[in-house]
Amino acid sequence: MRHFFVEPFQYGFMQRALVVSLVIGAVGGIVGSYVVLRRISFFADTLTHTVFPGVAIAFVTGHSLWLGALVAGVASALLFSLATTNRRVDDDAAMAILLTTFFAVGVMVVSRVESYTNDLLVLLFGRVLTVDRADIVSTVAIGAVALCIVGALHKELVFRAFDPEGAEAAGYSPLLLDIALNLAVTLVVVAALQAVGTVLVIALLVTPAATSRLVTRGLGTMIAVGAAVGMAAAYLGLVISFSASVDHGVRLATGATIVVVLTVGFTLVAAATWLRRRPAVAA
Amino acid sequence: MIPALELDDVCVAFDDVRVLDGVTATVEAGDSVALIGPNGAGKSTLLRAILGLVPVTDGHIRVLGTTPRLARRQVAYVPQADTLDSEFPVSVLQVVLMGRFREVGWIRRPGRADRAAALDALGQVGLADRAHDRFGVLSGGQRQRVLLARALCQKARLLLLDEPFNGVDSSTQELFLEVLARQREAGVAIVMPTHDLTVAHLACGDACLLNQRQYGFGPIGDVLSPDALRATYESQALLRPGDEVILTDHHHHL
Repeated sequence: MRHFFVEPFQYGFMQRALVVSLVIGAVGGIVGSYVVLRRISFFADTLTHTVFPGVAIAFVTGHSLWLGALVAGVASALLFSLATTNRRVDDDAAMAILLTTFFAVGVMVVSRVESYTNDLLVLLFGRVLTVDRADIVSTVAIGAVALCIVGALHKELVFRAFDPEGAEAAGYSPLLLDIALNLAVTLVVVAALQAVGTVLVIALLVTPAATSRLVTRGLGTMIAVGAAVGMAAAYLGLVISFSASVDHGVRLATGATIVVVLTVGFTLVAAATWLRRRPAVAA
Repeated sequence: MIPALELDDVCVAFDDVRVLDGVTATVEAGDSVALIGPNGAGKSTLLRAILGLVPVTDGHIRVLGTTPRLARRQVAYVPQADTLDSEFPVSVLQVVLMGRFREVGWIRRPGRADRAAALDALGQVGLADRAHDRFGVLSGGQRQRVLLARALCQKARLLLLDEPFNGVDSSTQELFLEVLARQREAGVAIVMPTHDLTVAHLACGDACLLNQRQYGFGPIGDVLSPDALRATYESQALLRPGDEVILTDHHHHL
């Protein structure tokens, strides 16, 4: 047990990977709760793809990946909000167009680089085992800003998600509140870049909150349990991928392992709640 | 005394199509007005215009002597309870507290005074003991009461209620009539679209007949004449002996 759960962290790279993964797990679970309650999981997924060209351009030009992702994320969130102010443009149509266009631009940019495949893989799927101290600092800082946004706007975001009409009637701009939440999502994507990459980060946003919602009744507990689920999955995914590679010679990508752990957890919880409810329905 | 609401030849159009035209009415403090008309008559649009959420194409709306936007804090809106997600993880008290949010302001959390106001409002609708239950476990009528409590704790001077009697049980209906009467005595003005003519007579002193344009405004007994109702509802209204009007609206049979 100790060998499996504790010993991997005698290595510096595993310690750093653990810190980054736990931060992302917690921040993803918290911000993701607002995403799930606001029912914008698919939009959040779009955002995770639209930051990709920003990352790619920053990567090719040697600028900060964080900055590139941030610019692309903010740009796509604004474009989406503008596109959907036209009532003939449906949300899902706008999302599909944005997602594919931004992603295509990202692939075009990266494909101009010699080490195309390798670089592309890192940007898309992350490489948590290679994070350094500077990465930890930026992950924590960006995650903290995301938490500040949802923390400061907590009551308004909940009002908007629960009763959009009532919130608008009370004078809260739906557009501004949506932009704020989209910005928080973008920041999570940027913070999670090293750990899981742009493609899989949506699982860290949606799955912990969706799992938590199955077993909690209150808002505060839903958010807290969401954070705990995210952190637990990040930790488990990390040790499983380490053990698979060191003890069994099977290479498992860490980010992908974390996502699979999350999904297994969600499935088990969903099955357990279904089994618990079934007798009540029969009676 | 400034009227709670002044509508002066109000017209609202979307993409050049007029959905409301020539609405003129004055609602004084303590007045209660029923908006009567078939589906698609523009009742919700008028509510949204009073809230400043849709622009007025022609004419003027003054709310409490100022523009709808500036008056918003003094205006409380009560949506229909069945439009809200019953699985949403909020407690009854958390829903009522939403009525205090504008007063609380950005970033800050509701304090003890806000909770006291929310609990007091819940008491007024007879649900003080349900404060910590999840909103979704309540019955439809009880949820509608919670939303009324949310509006009450906002301490607004104009209450807009969207079909408040839709699908509520008779005890909730009675309680609503009592609460609304008390609000009117305290000088709160009330505007409510409703399909229920009986309830409109019980809850409101005035009525505004609408179907794209205004068919009448004034004391409810005068305005809701069989002829006026027939004109407003066109082929959807039938008249029975004894002046009983039957609205054969597809969705809302009376």
